[in-house]
Amino acid sequence: MLLKIAWRNIWRNRTRSIVVITAIAIGLLAGVFASAFMQGMMRQKIESVIKLEMSDFQFHRPQFTDEFLTSLYIPNADQIMVEVEQEPTVAGTSGRLISMGMVGSARRSGAIRIMGIDPAKEALVTGLNEKVVDGTWFEGASRNPLVISRKVAEKYGVDLKSKLVLTVQDLDGEIIAGAFRVVGIFDTGNGMFDEMNIYVRQDDLRALMRIEAGVHEIAVSLTDHDMAEPLAAKYRAAHPELEVLPWLDLATGMRYMIETMDVYLYFIVGIILVALLFSILNTMLMAVLERVREIGVLMAVGMAKRKVFGMILFETVMLTMIGGPLGLLLSWGMVSYFGQVGIDLGGAYNDLGFASIVYPYLDIRSYFEVAIMVAVMAVIAAVYPARKALKLIPVEAIRTQ
Amino acid sequence: MTNYVIETKSLTKTYEGIVPVYAVRGADVTIEDNEFTAIIGPSGSGKTTLLNMIGGLDRPTSGSVKVNGHELTGKTDSELIDFRLKHIGFVFQSYNLIPVLTAKENTEFIMLLQKIPKAQRDARVEQLLGEVGLADKMDKRPTELSGGQQQRVAVARALASKPDFVLADEPTANLDSASASNLLDIMARLNKEEGITFIFSTHDQRVIDRARRVITLEDGVVVRDERR
Repeated sequence: MLLKIAWRNIWRNRTRSIVVITAIAIGLLAGVFASAFMQGMMRQKIESVIKLEMSDFQFHRPQFTDEFLTSLYIPNADQIMVEVEQEPTVAGTSGRLISMGMVGSARRSGAIRIMGIDPAKEALVTGLNEKVVDGTWFEGASRNPLVISRKVAEKYGVDLKSKLVLTVQDLDGEIIAGAFRVVGIFDTGNGMFDEMNIYVRQDDLRALMRIEAGVHEIAVSLTDHDMAEPLAAKYRAAHPELEVLPWLDLATGMRYMIETMDVYLYFIVGIILVALLFSILNTMLMAVLERVREIGVLMAVGMAKRKVFGMILFETVMLTMIGGPLGLLLSWGMVSYFGQVGIDLGGAYNDLGFASIVYPYLDIRSYFEVAIMVAVMAVIAAVYPARKALKLIPVEAIRTQ
Repeated sequence: MTNYVIETKSLTKTYEGIVPVYAVRGADVTIEDNEFTAIIGPSGSGKTTLLNMIGGLDRPTSGSVKVNGHELTGKTDSELIDFRLKHIGFVFQSYNLIPVLTAKENTEFIMLLQKIPKAQRDARVEQLLGEVGLADKMDKRPTELSGGQQQRVAVARALASKPDFVLADEPTANLDSASASNLLDIMARLNKEEGITFIFSTHDQRVIDRARRVITLEDGVVVRDERR
């Protein structure tokens, strides 16, 4: 009966209830969609960081990532790569010679990271071959081929077949230059990455840097990103002379960003829920104040205080439980739709290292978490109006007009 | 020794203020089972206050109220609510039905609070609404009923819990003559045939004419107690 009374009470003021239910649904939609947008953006960024920038974990000589000295290479890299490739979750490994060098065209010159790679192995780790939008990924190329991004091509005013001069430091610290010809142009959608990296064949760079064997970096790509930390720990123990770090430790900014993003998401949803809480509280308070005499009569004829409390609680929870699922359903629909078609933010985010098209995404756990937060909010919103009802003195309440 | 349904001793209610207002002063009232009593007096004489104290809705400043031997003055708010549920039926001037419930549900509501099984509830609701002449209005909500019909539902609700007595505060005040007369007929019949004790506070001469006992209050003091 209490549920019946609560349900019918909700519809006594149909317009007001519909307004509150709509507010809850839209508020949730806004909160969930904002969360999904941020989570989608982060997810793409993480994928991009793992896939393009860091892979799942990497091997370096200590200090290499700070100083990028040519001499800090891993001489037994081939042996380590063979060893790592035995792991069932390893999708690929790529040894890289790296030089923080200079690139120069007829128009301009500038600093760049020159990656000397084995194109086939690199393709397994970064999939960069699939990002080539013009030319080839080294296939069929002759002497000193070079693959650059569209951004670098625009910046240096070059195109396919153009010649660029790369300047690197060799093993003895000497500055050596070599001419390379552009055979491919890629576009990853990550502006910062594209602007920073160019690719040459490892043997060509090896000749310039005069490193006979070994690489500066071994990047390992996994089929399960969650295995990055345990595998990195395993190989750190096996190769104490090397620095073996998972992507979250390589991209320290990302760890920070992920942690703050979680806080940020809860913060956004929290703010929206607090606003909704006050809206529901206000509505229920009005509902209680409009029914002072009725509640007084209920108490006069013998309705226990806990049941009066329960009645107000039921009303509040029912209001929320109509608006909440409606909001979650709308959110799910909207997140699913834009998760397919994406939201184009234009180039600005691209320059900051984020994808220009964001595909909102929210995991099932987050939907549950939001649902629980909404339920908790409903109970909190009910407390004050219900307490107000409990404080009514029946004999006075009955006299109220 | 007589067993009183209601027994008040030196019952006093004072509202404190710059000048204290004595709503009821030293009322000694006893009500026996099966009485049909009207408490009358001019406005402000303390009728409703006395009725509220007898019904455990208001607390006396001093004195005592016993209902079937149970002292009410020492009970907590929750105990009083429970006591009212089990022992006292109320009929209010403004009917005060729950607007979202039908006549049947309004009558059944008290029994639900008492956790009476559904079969018993259904039978009693049917019986009560039949007795007040509303068997055909069971599924109507208060807004679909006339004032007289609403007050008859209120009587059915008051009787639903099989209370020790029914307190009716100006039950006919908002009713036209025909409805008031009809309501009084029903209550008189219930009193006579089922032995239900009714105590009214009223101005209404029609109620006073039907009462078998009339207690008169003036300035909070019982000045007359007349049995007919």
